[in-house]
Amino acid sequence: MAQTRLDRSEQINGWAFVMPALVLLGIFMIYPIIWSLWMSFQVGRGANFSFGGLANIQRLANDGLFVQALTNTFIFFIIQVPIMIVLALLFAVALNDSTLKFRGLFRTLLFLPCVTSLIAYSSLFKSMFSNDGIINQALLTLHIIGAPIPWLSDPFWAKVVIIVAITWRWTGYNMIFYLAALQNVDKSIYEAARIDGVPAWARFTSITIPMLKPVILFTTILSTIGTLQLFDEVNNITQGNPANATLTLSLYIYNLTFRMMPSFGYSATVSWVIVLIVAVLSFIQFMIARDRRRPS
Amino acid sequence: MSFALLRRGGVYLFLSVAAFLSVFPFYWMAVGATNKSIDITTGQLSPGSNLVANFQSLAAQVDLVRIFGNSFLLAIVSTILTLAVSSIAGYGFEIFRSRVRERVFQLLLLLLSIPFAALMVPLFVMISRASLTNTFTAVILPTIASIFIIFYFRQATKAFPGELRDAARVDGLKEWQIFLFVYLPTMRSTYAAATIIVFMNAWNNYLWPLIVLQTPENKTITLVISALTAAYAPDFGVILLATVMATLPTLVIFFVLQRQFVQGMLGAVK
Amino acid sequence: MSSLKLKGVRKSFGTLEVIKGVDLDINAREFVVFVGPSGCGKSTLLRMIAGLESTTSGDIEIGGTRVNEADPSKRGIAMVFQSYALYPHMTVRDNMGFALRFAGKPKAEIARQVGEAARILELEPLLDRLPKELSGGQRQRVAIGRAIVRHPEVFLFDEPLSNLDAELRVHMRIELARLHRELKTTMIYVTHDQVEAMTLADKIVVMRKGEVAQVGTPLQLYDDPDNLFVAGFIGSPRMNFFQGEVLESGNGAFVAQLVNQGGVRLTRSLSGRLPAKGDKVTIGVRPEHFADAGTGTADIALKVDVAEHLGSTTYIYANTAAGEQVIVEREDRHAGDADTLTVAIPADKALVFDSAGNRLR
Repeated sequence: MAQTRLDRSEQINGWAFVMPALVLLGIFMIYPIIWSLWMSFQVGRGANFSFGGLANIQRLANDGLFVQALTNTFIFFIIQVPIMIVLALLFAVALNDSTLKFRGLFRTLLFLPCVTSLIAYSSLFKSMFSNDGIINQALLTLHIIGAPIPWLSDPFWAKVVIIVAITWRWTGYNMIFYLAALQNVDKSIYEAARIDGVPAWARFTSITIPMLKPVILFTTILSTIGTLQLFDEVNNITQGNPANATLTLSLYIYNLTFRMMPSFGYSATVSWVIVLIVAVLSFIQFMIARDRRRPS
Repeated sequence: MSFALLRRGGVYLFLSVAAFLSVFPFYWMAVGATNKSIDITTGQLSPGSNLVANFQSLAAQVDLVRIFGNSFLLAIVSTILTLAVSSIAGYGFEIFRSRVRERVFQLLLLLLSIPFAALMVPLFVMISRASLTNTFTAVILPTIASIFIIFYFRQATKAFPGELRDAARVDGLKEWQIFLFVYLPTMRSTYAAATIIVFMNAWNNYLWPLIVLQTPENKTITLVISALTAAYAPDFGVILLATVMATLPTLVIFFVLQRQFVQGMLGAVK
Repeated sequence: MSSLKLKGVRKSFGTLEVIKGVDLDINAREFVVFVGPSGCGKSTLLRMIAGLESTTSGDIEIGGTRVNEADPSKRGIAMVFQSYALYPHMTVRDNMGFALRFAGKPKAEIARQVGEAARILELEPLLDRLPKELSGGQRQRVAIGRAIVRHPEVFLFDEPLSNLDAELRVHMRIELARLHRELKTTMIYVTHDQVEAMTLADKIVVMRKGEVAQVGTPLQLYDDPDNLFVAGFIGSPRMNFFQGEVLESGNGAFVAQLVNQGGVRLTRSLSGRLPAKGDKVTIGVRPEHFADAGTGTADIALKVDVAEHLGSTTYIYANTAAGEQVIVEREDRHAGDADTLTVAIPADKALVFDSAGNRLR
């Protein structure tokens, strides 16, 4: 195939533009992950390690802390992601109405939490959810509860605090994605649906949601990855407590590597567990969202 | 007719409650900065008179100028480099298509699902071996090539009119000149949105700097706040004041670039 | 049965009034076209009939029932949008059947209706395709099909052909005319293209700045416009207008001196109101009505600018001595060959308008 000078120039330029990023990714992403895979078969502490075969995986199976971290992470994922996605969708649909007053204001306010640093808002929430804190006082005043909830010292409520915190922080972010996607929808489709006699709830489920499917999938996968990697909040609000009730996989890896005498091989193994979980879940989500129609 | 009105009212109520819940912590943060720690944990809603005391306490514990300087330096350098590297990659993937590069791009999308938790151990080992612990270089380098930003710029470039590039080529511009003098000025709102995202990320970055930066004078404000919060008896007045100071830059940038941000997001979701 | 009445209909957006009192009577089975320049309110009026915009005051009646407060789906209307507004994630079949699902019709019934509409519109081979796999013309037919299955009293079309290329537009115009004949339903059609109006309509409603300028059959509007606006809007190429000043008036006729034509005078008799002496009038002459020099009542000397030969017709773009453009239509291929041309205005084909733009007959 004869390559014209133009073709060659295209190729050279093509690689030139992407090369810096690719090199960096190669060094800081691909190499580490492969190293990590290799390391997961090594046992030993610190700089002394030797090949251990599947020893690390065996250790995983018997590691109570690991199981707890895994369970907690999953609980956070299963509960928090759907709540947040639904809320973000509802907000976006509500804000997409051009006849709504204060639209811009609402949108800004709802997005504002996304501007905070994870640490900043973690400190904030820690101060709000103390036993005599403002949250308990508000709930008591509104007669929603009879006695103050021991938010940070109860395993169940600690998880609730984390879930509330994450939802507060990230819903606005997903909302912006949905809003942007909704703006791209031809308004006349909704008008046609109104004329067709399609009621509002059906317009939402049969038109809005299917049309937003790509964006919803994108945000769900992003949220999945984010929640499965949960670290900052649990490290700052609860430190994984009480009694590891809010220990997540990332926090566990961090503890293994930097707080205890590091066994890099084992940390790497746990890291790869996360990689596999994320890959599997993303794959499942992709499959669910895929068009199941047979092309004609 | 009245059902529609009821529903409209319900929507306003729903949004108002959500907006209130979204904004309340900011008020709390601002008020808390002026109160004593004990008042904060007992839920005082009104401003106090402890602002100066809190500030003095904070300044005594932390070299504020140095720490904020660190955060700013890291964030700004990070933002510039990330935008540079990732935007030319996104542009390159979209404008110069080839089968091989498409495969590479798809591989990149797969890499997106690798969690940082899986990388932090080997990355740490790598930088220790290179004697780069506690350096800003080590903090910035792994983050410059951001797959998310590459993806974002590639999407945004789809809306860049091919004719502009053709006209520039006819005019005799070389490819890098086209990127600098034709593409960059046209894609301002995309860059604005990306700047907000990248700056915020860099400013708020926690885990990796936590791992890399060891000495107190190298820490960022994020790390400082975290340390203060993890203390046995945290002084929330001081902490919230630090939080206010740490949140202000991102708030300012957000408000200044808000419109471009939304426009930029709109452009990416096509 | 499927008649439509608008009584004193007004619409304001805030303080801006966009529809300023429209009265219309549309009979059952009529094909009515709302036509007018951008911003005249034709789409707004259509959307008010559909129920997508509220009516500030006045009444809208469909089939004798006042529908101002009724939901769009309960007015007995169906609408074809300019962008077709097809549900992009549904097949053609599902697109057409969607409304019926919510009307509670059984599946077999829906299938039958959809099949029937598909047959009429020749969509049968496309039923399992998605909108993005269809051409513009096919999508438009699906949009029409979606409207047909609801068996509405009134069909509403909002500039349905403007997104199609020229050739397809001509083809679809004929399809729509045929559809109207076959379905025998009332159709209201909005367009800015007066050719579509002229070819499709039983009745044309010309709109301008929120008001009805004239209602009539295409040929009525063409031959007998009520005002300057309608005269200039209908007909392509445009009618030529000459300014005149009335010198004498009385006994059923007046004499006007045409401005900037070197003293040329036109004498015209009218059975109705005459302009007064000294009044300004506008004389309108269609390009095809110019007579040869010397045979009419006023000779106009023209300098030929450009001659467009369309084969059987020639359009001559010429300028008067004062530099105003005049368009002359001739069937003679050599008509525009010379540099100059003199034409005459036949008195009976000259339309007279007073200084307010109203027609004097």
